[in-house]
Amino acid sequence: MTVLKTSMRNFLAHKGRMALSAVAVILSVAFVCGTLVFSDTMSTTFDKLFAATSADVTVSPKSAEGAGQAPSSGKPESMPASVVSRARKAEGVKTAEGAVSSESVTVVNSENKDVGPTSGGPTIAGNWTHNDLRSMDITSGHAPRGPTEAMIDADTADKHDLKIGDELRTIAATGDHTAKISGIAAFKVTNPGATIVYFDTETAQRELLGATGRFTHVSLTAAAGVSDTALKANVASALDKGAYDIKTQKETADDNRKSVGSFLDVMKYAMLGFAGIAFLVGIFLIINTFSMLVAQRTREIGLMRAIGSSRKQVNRSVLTEAVLLGVVGSVLGVGAGIGLAVGLMKLMSGVGMELSTGDLTVNWTTPVVGMVLGVVVTVLAAYLPARRAGKVSPMAALRDAGTPADGRASTLRAVIGLVLTGAGAFGLYTASQADKASEGSLFLGGGVVLTLVGFVVVGPVLASGVVRVFSAVLLRAFGPVGRMAERNALRNPRRTGATGAALMIGLALVACLSVVGSSMVASATDELDKSVGADFIVQSDKGAPITAKAAASLKKAEHIGHITRLKGVEADMTTPGGKTVDEVSLSAADPTYAKDLRRETVAGELSAAYGKNAMSVGDKFAEKHGLGVGDELKVAFAHGRTADLRIAAVTKDDGALDNGAMYLSISTLEKYVPADRITQNEIMFATAAKGQEEAAYQSLKDALAAYPQYKVMDQTDFKETLKDQVGQLLNMVYGLLGLAIIVAILGVVNTLALSVVERTREIGLMRAIGLSRRQLRRMIRMESVVIALFGALLGLGLGMGWGATAQKLLALEGLKVLEIPWPTIIAVFVGSAFVGLFAALVPAFRAGRMNVLNAIATE
Amino acid sequence: MAARARQVVKAYGSGETRVVALDHIDVDIARGQFTAIMGPSGSGKSTLMHCLAGLDTVSSGQIHLDETEITGLKDKKLTQLRRDRIGFIFQAFNLLPTLNAIENITLPMDIAGRKPDRGWLDQVVETVGLAGRLKHRPTELSGGQQQRVAVARALASRPEIIFGDEPTGNLDSRAGAEVLGFLRRSVTELGQTIVMVTHDPVAASYADRVLYLADGRIVDEMHHPTADQVLDRMKSFDARGRTS
Repeated sequence: MTVLKTSMRNFLAHKGRMALSAVAVILSVAFVCGTLVFSDTMSTTFDKLFAATSADVTVSPKSAEGAGQAPSSGKPESMPASVVSRARKAEGVKTAEGAVSSESVTVVNSENKDVGPTSGGPTIAGNWTHNDLRSMDITSGHAPRGPTEAMIDADTADKHDLKIGDELRTIAATGDHTAKISGIAAFKVTNPGATIVYFDTETAQRELLGATGRFTHVSLTAAAGVSDTALKANVASALDKGAYDIKTQKETADDNRKSVGSFLDVMKYAMLGFAGIAFLVGIFLIINTFSMLVAQRTREIGLMRAIGSSRKQVNRSVLTEAVLLGVVGSVLGVGAGIGLAVGLMKLMSGVGMELSTGDLTVNWTTPVVGMVLGVVVTVLAAYLPARRAGKVSPMAALRDAGTPADGRASTLRAVIGLVLTGAGAFGLYTASQADKASEGSLFLGGGVVLTLVGFVVVGPVLASGVVRVFSAVLLRAFGPVGRMAERNALRNPRRTGATGAALMIGLALVACLSVVGSSMVASATDELDKSVGADFIVQSDKGAPITAKAAASLKKAEHIGHITRLKGVEADMTTPGGKTVDEVSLSAADPTYAKDLRRETVAGELSAAYGKNAMSVGDKFAEKHGLGVGDELKVAFAHGRTADLRIAAVTKDDGALDNGAMYLSISTLEKYVPADRITQNEIMFATAAKGQEEAAYQSLKDALAAYPQYKVMDQTDFKETLKDQVGQLLNMVYGLLGLAIIVAILGVVNTLALSVVERTREIGLMRAIGLSRRQLRRMIRMESVVIALFGALLGLGLGMGWGATAQKLLALEGLKVLEIPWPTIIAVFVGSAFVGLFAALVPAFRAGRMNVLNAIATE
Repeated sequence: MAARARQVVKAYGSGETRVVALDHIDVDIARGQFTAIMGPSGSGKSTLMHCLAGLDTVSSGQIHLDETEITGLKDKKLTQLRRDRIGFIFQAFNLLPTLNAIENITLPMDIAGRKPDRGWLDQVVETVGLAGRLKHRPTELSGGQQQRVAVARALASRPEIIFGDEPTGNLDSRAGAEVLGFLRRSVTELGQTIVMVTHDPVAASYADRVLYLADGRIVDEMHHPTADQVLDRMKSFDARGRTS
């Protein structure tokens, strides 16, 4: 009881000193809870959507599902209209309705601007059915009638300012179709970001499937008293066995959820990972806070021990304070997390993903996870300082010394740290020498963790050396103020080390990723220069295939040497040895592709692979299956027949482009796959007629004017795009790492603020003998800068080491060029100095305002 | 005059809780003299010293250091004044733990960006007997040695006036006598002006002049007293304190 009381009093008495630790706990817990609430809310949104959009029972063609990732002809699988009437006759069916729906479409407005979602959501075109009325209301106009009318969803209409009477062009694999908006329909639940266009049934069939009288699925509703499962069984017996997928509402929703869920999970765990890093950094802050509180309270603790408190009691009283801090921080953190989730939802709507706060979902697990995590981490972090408090001898009460320095970093620490770092460095070295990426990655992971821990342990030892070097370079110029700043940074290496280490973690990750990122760009650029012969690349910005009509339009472009189509196709392959490999991806291209992308061969000529009934394989595949030039493979094309193809070339798989690709010509493919089953062009290449690059570029651009979803890029554009994409990805990761860096900056502020309190009398003395406020503030700022630079140096060094190792390892996967982004590294280093200045603002201000008399007044 | 105070009032709080620490005090501190300020606890002796030294502000009245009026000066000017023209010796915690002895001694001049006068510095160091310990950190010095470093620091920049706040309060009598001896000699031999607050009659007996404060007023003064005379005078305070 008394322990709790003292802890409470101490906690309240030092609440100012606890404030920054509490902020660290709040931020970390908030990030975790925010992520959980956000992803739960997304799940709820999708659950509601799927529940609302799926019929009681849905019938669809067998192979329609699961083929989502494979290249397709762009025409969805369909079934004859007779299935609808047969299903309708099943027992317990109230209504049966044929539906058409396709996601392989692009919808543009009259100015040829894509109205599809920017958030990565799908654009869906289909027929307007009664089933759609379950989830949508027509808010203005009327449902589409006849081939010239279309209806669009209200969110898209809002976003792109579309009105009734506006023209919409739907670009599908079968062709383009222009219609006027006859109506606008709004979702009753939240539509997270799909663009939906409706036609009448006949138009949808003709324009999306290329044939009337066919449907992509049948929506059935159950008669009163018939359960979905019973209805499913009845329908199954009414239709041909095994020819169709029949799913209840729940099954459809579950399947949909699964496909969205994996994306949501990736996002959730990535964000939780970053929250974890912030927690890790927060631990340093908490350790520092409690160490300093214990040091400042040494005499008090000594007195408690002298009058009979046991070690355990002292220990427990410190831990109780940690629990209080954890509880307060976590409670606030959970609240802040919900706020953060709302903020994230607003942010998402900025990039086109609509989420409604009405769907905000806070599961009971969220606050529990937040609280447990916050409290456990805080208590763990406070454990070491608490133990140290327990070790304070009763004699400390009698000693005059105010706050003893924790002395020099011990040799033991140096040895342990160096051993760990050495082991980590060995791991990294082994990783860089690995022959197989999978083996190496294990060493890389181990090396990263060991060097990180090693650096944290050895940090205080390094601090003395590094700080001395910095001050020789930077601080000496500032005379005695610089010297005092140096001494202050050095007087407690453990504290400086821990504060710097917190910053080190975030910056190490930044440095590592920036090295990998710029190496990626450099490697790709290098490879482009070496092997890409094509002048222009045509690609969709969302990864959609190039429709036949767009391809035809490109073919008409002028000043062109040649144009190459490239298609992906799937096939099951059987080797001469009788071994079958399922679902192999092949690249079918025009023979000019051999010029557009130069590949070295181990055997044979690549151009021969485009011959009749010929193909090429990669050297790894060839080695694995014992294949060589002249061997024949049985290739069973998806949706096509089986071909016997002769291996005419074996390519050397050492680059990043088309690594492991198997080539054949499109004309070979066309012999074995029916025309309407031929997959769409994934990407196209073009080469200008000699000396007419400019004109060709313009002509290609003009050819695609009606297709905003495709982009023509020359090599320079392509490199730029690549660089931008990598840059965007890195910026996102930097943004998420920002949290950890903010916590680390709080750590610097915290250390300085507590140091200022601890050095009150020193500061008073210096002020009394003539140190001006400005000099005092400068001294504190310089100490801060030195600590920040120390963290930055360690972090950047460590991160570059990690990045370089990762590059060496990934060289096996085509990441051949190591490029250290010096401008970024230097900017981060210089930026850290400013971080140091910024962190010192408040502590320096407060030190400057300190009352000289109070500061020097004897106790 | 090295310093003078006219009608200085220092009051804390207001209304009924108003406490007057200094009550219209007039003081003149003569140049080249060793002045001790004595008085019972709460008499205002430390407050008077803090005000004279520009560490504390006054409620009313004027204080001059030489010809400069320091009452009403802004912090920046006051800091400069303390740095360039005043020396301090506190009871404890006189030295920065991160700096060694010589660095502590030259600190005020370093802060000001002035070069110490080498010859003078050597003489001061010699006088206080620290020649062998200049590279030591404060924690490696005894209490007496630390106070001697503090004295050396106060002397080194040749301030117009040195203020001591119980400079021997934390020392045993031998170490205390040593420090007081240095202070005395610096007045006699070097013409230094020193003002020292103390409650120790023996320390006061080193002074040329002793001022007695009670209830914020100067109630008495003595010239060239012996320790016994001071003690007797103090006893009378105690007696009065007990009877009133």
